[in-house]
Amino acid sequence: MNAPQPALVAPRPERLRLVGQRRLMLAVMHQRLMFGMIVYAGLIALVALRILYLAAFGDHAGRKEELTSLIPERGDIVDRDGVPLARTIDAWSIAIHPNKVIGDKLALAERLAQLMPEHTAQQYFALLRSGKNFFYLRRRASPELVEAVNAIGEPGLAIEREPDRLYPQTTLAAHVIGFTNIDGHGGAGAERAFESYLSDPSTRGKPLVLSISSKVQQALEAELSEAKQHFSAIGAAGVVMDVHTGEVLAMTSLPAFNPNVPGQATPDQMFNRATLGVFELGSTFKPFTLAMAMDSGVVSGPGQMYNCPEVLPAYGHLVHDTHPFGRQCSVAEIMMESSNIGMAQMADQLGTARQKAWLKKMGFLDRVEIELKERGRALTPGSRWGPFETMTIGFGQGIAVAPLQLAMGYATLFDNGIYHAPTILKVGPDHPLKPGRRVFTADTSYRMRSLLRLVVMKGTGRKADAPGYRVGGKTGTAQKLINGRYSNTINITSFAGVFPMDDPRYVIVVMLDEPKATPETYGFTTAGWNVAPVVSRTISRIAPMLGVAPDMNREPNMAEVLPFVHDDKHDAKKD
Amino acid sequence: MSARSFGSLFMVASCAGAALGCYLVSLRVASERAALESVEAQIVDTQSELRVLQTEIGTRGRLSQLERWNAGAFSLSAPAANQFLQGGFELARLVQPQRQVDFQAPVVMASAPAPAPQQPLGQPAAEQSREPQAVGPAGLLHEASLKTETREVPARTVVALPLPTAMKSPDKPVTAAKPAQSKSGDRPGLAAAKSPAAKPPKGAPVHVADASHATRKKSVDKPALGSAKPMTKRVELAKTDPLAPLPDRHSGRPKDSPTGR
Repeated sequence: MNAPQPALVAPRPERLRLVGQRRLMLAVMHQRLMFGMIVYAGLIALVALRILYLAAFGDHAGRKEELTSLIPERGDIVDRDGVPLARTIDAWSIAIHPNKVIGDKLALAERLAQLMPEHTAQQYFALLRSGKNFFYLRRRASPELVEAVNAIGEPGLAIEREPDRLYPQTTLAAHVIGFTNIDGHGGAGAERAFESYLSDPSTRGKPLVLSISSKVQQALEAELSEAKQHFSAIGAAGVVMDVHTGEVLAMTSLPAFNPNVPGQATPDQMFNRATLGVFELGSTFKPFTLAMAMDSGVVSGPGQMYNCPEVLPAYGHLVHDTHPFGRQCSVAEIMMESSNIGMAQMADQLGTARQKAWLKKMGFLDRVEIELKERGRALTPGSRWGPFETMTIGFGQGIAVAPLQLAMGYATLFDNGIYHAPTILKVGPDHPLKPGRRVFTADTSYRMRSLLRLVVMKGTGRKADAPGYRVGGKTGTAQKLINGRYSNTINITSFAGVFPMDDPRYVIVVMLDEPKATPETYGFTTAGWNVAPVVSRTISRIAPMLGVAPDMNREPNMAEVLPFVHDDKHDAKKD
Repeated sequence: MSARSFGSLFMVASCAGAALGCYLVSLRVASERAALESVEAQIVDTQSELRVLQTEIGTRGRLSQLERWNAGAFSLSAPAANQFLQGGFELARLVQPQRQVDFQAPVVMASAPAPAPQQPLGQPAAEQSREPQAVGPAGLLHEASLKTETREVPARTVVALPLPTAMKSPDKPVTAAKPAQSKSGDRPGLAAAKSPAAKPPKGAPVHVADASHATRKKSVDKPALGSAKPMTKRVELAKTDPLAPLPDRHSGRPKDSPTGR
């Protein structure tokens, strides 16, 4: 009875169906389970492998990118001795997010006004309530200020470090270096000219080496600014250049600006008088005329005689001399006393076409060749360039060039007549010297040495002499064109010098714009009285640094010119 | 049997062990590399710190600032051309002692002075009579060689020399003068000193006497005395009176001193 009863009744068909179905479902479930497991196992394996990989080859958590070398945000600029002239440093900036301020805005505004008094509390309060998102309160803030602002504890204040351009030497060589604008792009000078080099990550790690020597630059700037102040000049410019390579060792334009705060500079301060400004530089041009004449065979040598009357009528004008000879005079005397009349005759013999060709060859009719973008174009008579203009250009009136161009001309003349384009980059392995081109013959170059030394020994440039350094050069006093007329009282005085004259190595050009007379110049405003002493003092300072040893016993071959100088001469100065 | 059944287990264990070993090696390498990187990062940090400091120094010591200090505070200026030397020899020449000419020193003649002038002046000490003989050969010899002892002796004996000034000129040998001074209290010589012309004769004899003494004494006596005072007296030789007899070295004193005054 207890025995299991056979199913008397067959299971209901739906039940049977259920059993089959369950079996089927179980199989499917097993399949799915297996699949899920495989997927999970795969994922875990993936993670494990990744972990293993990272452990073996991966970066560790503290690793920072690009830290193995120091690459500044913008390349450094250094001088030829490696003294930094421009650097990018991390400066503190203080900013504010007005919408995130949670404290008392009025109290905050008062505190800010206390710490940064450039705005009043009202202004800060208005700023806080303006609803704007972001304001800079101060860029390049001092650490003390940052600390004080941080102590306010307001989360709306943002204190950050940002790269900032610093010019450690402040105004030194400001026009050569230039400045960067608020976005960090170059606004002038080398910063602008070498923008791509300085900002390109692949090159900016290596500093840009300028040809400037900061010590020479400082000496030139100091002496020139003293003279500018002393003679109340409205501006000044100076260039020191290597004769053999065309490297600019110092270049200044006064008044200068501080590139750390370019926003405060006036346009007058920004103006680069050395490269962008063009001036009629007067008698400093005469050596070129003489060299052209000698090279063209018009003048045979320093002994050639010219008739030098008191006044020379030419092409409907009269040419005057400050101190006329009133007799026959030699070429050496014409140079020594800077006679316009003598030079005018030489230029006339040379002729307009040849003069133009020479000036073109010397690079005086184009923009000055230098890397800077601030380059002036020489002003010439253009279509009015006739025989009389040729005469005036012969003694330096009627053509306006940049002081750098003048220095370039002298460098050409005294580098055995070979032209090298001026450069502000140091000549070296990274910037090899480009081959120059011959302009004057070596013989002419050699003969000019004693002539220019004569000017400093006995002529108008006596005050430019620096004992022992064999300075040669030429003064230039040009009347300034005021409202279309040449002024008799307002001058531009300049001096172009070369030293040591027995083996020329450096050119120095100095210019004062509108110097005034002082008691010790006896009322004169000519170059011999105001710029020549600057040259003397500057050379005395820089020559030893440049490796020119003073030597009282060396001179160029003065026997070439001294026989042609007559002793009866007046020793008054003129230009 | 067991070995075979555990074979796979060993296999797994050894594989796991090898894998672990490899992993440990790579871990070690990674940690070394990380340490190296942190050192590199530290170097870079230090470099940038250096840069900041250099920049700060450079900015504070910028050339225009230095120029201001040089010109204002220190009054320094660039060296003049004649302050440069061409080389070591010129430099050495600078420290060479300069020979100074003493214009007040008596002229010393190469020839032996004649004894004659001294005799007329009867004044000085008793020794006079001996002088001439003693002087002749011995004096000349003495001129050539410096002997300190001799002079001291004469100085003491001399009564006549009243020259304080002579002592003062540094280059002159003060030696003779000194003793003279100390004893000059009595000096008749003072009066004489004022008229230069009168004096020399006086002085001369006196000295001569001294000298004679000296010469004798030199040989004989006191090394001790000499050693005590040698420094002061030594120089005298140069000052000898040219006109006096050889022993004069001392006598020179009196003469020139008056003129000096």
